[in-house]
Amino acid sequence: MEAIKNAVDFSDFPRLDLIIAGTLAALFLAFPLFPHSSFAMSTMIQFLMFSIYGMGWNTIGGYGGQVDLGKAQYVGIGAYTTAVMLIRWDIPFWVSMPIGVCFSVIWSFIIGYPLFRLKGHYFAIATIATSLVLKDIFEVWDFVGAARGLGISPIKYQPPDFLRLIFKEDAYYYYVILGFFFLGILYLNWFRKSRLGFQLRCIKDNEDIARSLGINAHWAKIKTYAIATGFVSVVGSFHACYVKNIEPEDTMSLDISILIALMAMLGGAGSLWGPVIGAGILIPLKSYLKEWLGAAAGLVGIDLILYGIIIMVISAFEPRGIWGIVERVRRRRKR
Amino acid sequence: MAFLELNAVTKDFGGLRANDHVSFSLEKGELVGLIGPNGAGKTTLFNCISGLHPITSGRIFFDGEEITTMKAYDVARRGMARTFQVYVASGDLTVEENVMVGCFMHTRSRTKAREKARDILKELKLHTLSESRVKELPVAAQKRVIMATALGTKPKLLLLDEVAAGLNPSEIEEIMTSIRHVHDDLGVTVMLIEHVMELVMKVSARVIVLDYGKLIADGSPEQVSRDRRVIKAYLGERFAAELAPEIQDNGTRMNTDERG
Repeated sequence: MEAIKNAVDFSDFPRLDLIIAGTLAALFLAFPLFPHSSFAMSTMIQFLMFSIYGMGWNTIGGYGGQVDLGKAQYVGIGAYTTAVMLIRWDIPFWVSMPIGVCFSVIWSFIIGYPLFRLKGHYFAIATIATSLVLKDIFEVWDFVGAARGLGISPIKYQPPDFLRLIFKEDAYYYYVILGFFFLGILYLNWFRKSRLGFQLRCIKDNEDIARSLGINAHWAKIKTYAIATGFVSVVGSFHACYVKNIEPEDTMSLDISILIALMAMLGGAGSLWGPVIGAGILIPLKSYLKEWLGAAAGLVGIDLILYGIIIMVISAFEPRGIWGIVERVRRRRKR
Repeated sequence: MAFLELNAVTKDFGGLRANDHVSFSLEKGELVGLIGPNGAGKTTLFNCISGLHPITSGRIFFDGEEITTMKAYDVARRGMARTFQVYVASGDLTVEENVMVGCFMHTRSRTKAREKARDILKELKLHTLSESRVKELPVAAQKRVIMATALGTKPKLLLLDEVAAGLNPSEIEEIMTSIRHVHDDLGVTVMLIEHVMELVMKVSARVIVLDYGKLIADGSPEQVSRDRRVIKAYLGERFAAELAPEIQDNGTRMNTDERG
């Protein structure tokens, strides 16, 4: 009960923020009712998906300060669990999604235990490595379709199929992912002021102090990493049903891992709204750049150049991202 | 068995011996000062006692248990808290939230942790600052937040590492009151590293002196300040003279290194 009360307690934000957030939430809810292109709809769905990836990243990467560049492996585990179970055994999404989360969390414990002995850059590189190794395994594993990937054929089902999450109209997908998005926000709002949330920020600033305050830093990081993993895995499962064709390359590639981390950092690592702001900027930018420029020869990699520029700008000006700038301006005004 | 017992504790960093067969014991309710020149191994000794550094040899007992090889967070959960010279739990959090990090050792509930934190802040007269971000506070207030956070873990033994460094006399007076309050009213056993001699000599009933990692003196402030070795190694003639005028005559002037 107390947890629910805390999850919906946004009272420490200024009223302006809450008005903006409330308006946006209402707009998101109403979005499919307005006339829109299917391109805009798919961009919105992408935005929501990446917001949730970013929220997951933000627990360990933002609050915990452990820069994780391997989140894509959990997108893959979630997506493949759901796809394999649906195709081979006709197991619906709502069963396979939690199973995918279990697999992801187990995998996160297996690699998290040794990985969190590493610090800083070494940890970041190690997460990239495990993610790439897992991707390589999936590329040669016949049971999961190897490099060809898996395809969910929608003809076999009668959409709208709410159990298996097979729909013809994107609006259904939109509302499902929007539901997860709101749950994610509520969870994070609870998390940031929970015991683990406070302990993580202490660990981030100084691990010795954390230990001397009775905090098992290693275990706290592993736990948080598992939470982050859960977020990503759920959306990975959703991704399988939404895209219907999954390959190791587009679920588990390094691009996705970097994009997840980058969004959260751009918006503001370690803040509640950061990942949402980051995704709100980067995902439309990425989609529209692809739409406008991507077809032109030689401009295919333009989004990667953009990422590079963003990383440089963040690290040079405000390591806490856009939200960091907002808070700085506010504090200056208060004085 | 004593409340805290160190038995020939030795700590090597490569070829450097930071603590050399240090043995002493503390009884419950004591207030002990740990002094010595810079590099004498005082902070290292705290790190060894609190379990942050594995010790090279020797044994440590705390509250009836051997804690020699115990992890720092386990030691902390058994009732030993410590502070660090400069660091608070998290500069980004508010004062109240920092103290809550300590209080969360005993509860998962946010409400309970907050209540406890508020009590402690009130006791240390910090409650007017509870909404401020720690890194925006002056050093003196930060030092008291550090203490408050440690108190959040409900310690039986509190190790304070230079809580008065860099403070002006009136701030030192304030923190002295806080330390006395923690010791006298809350019944916490306190051991403090301090370079501010007035504070050590006034507050503690017993002083332990380290030099080059070795324990060179252990006794009341008066005894210790008359000890030739301590004067030579640390206090210097001038201070010793102020404290105990009668020994002034036959000493040679030494350089003092009181503040570091």
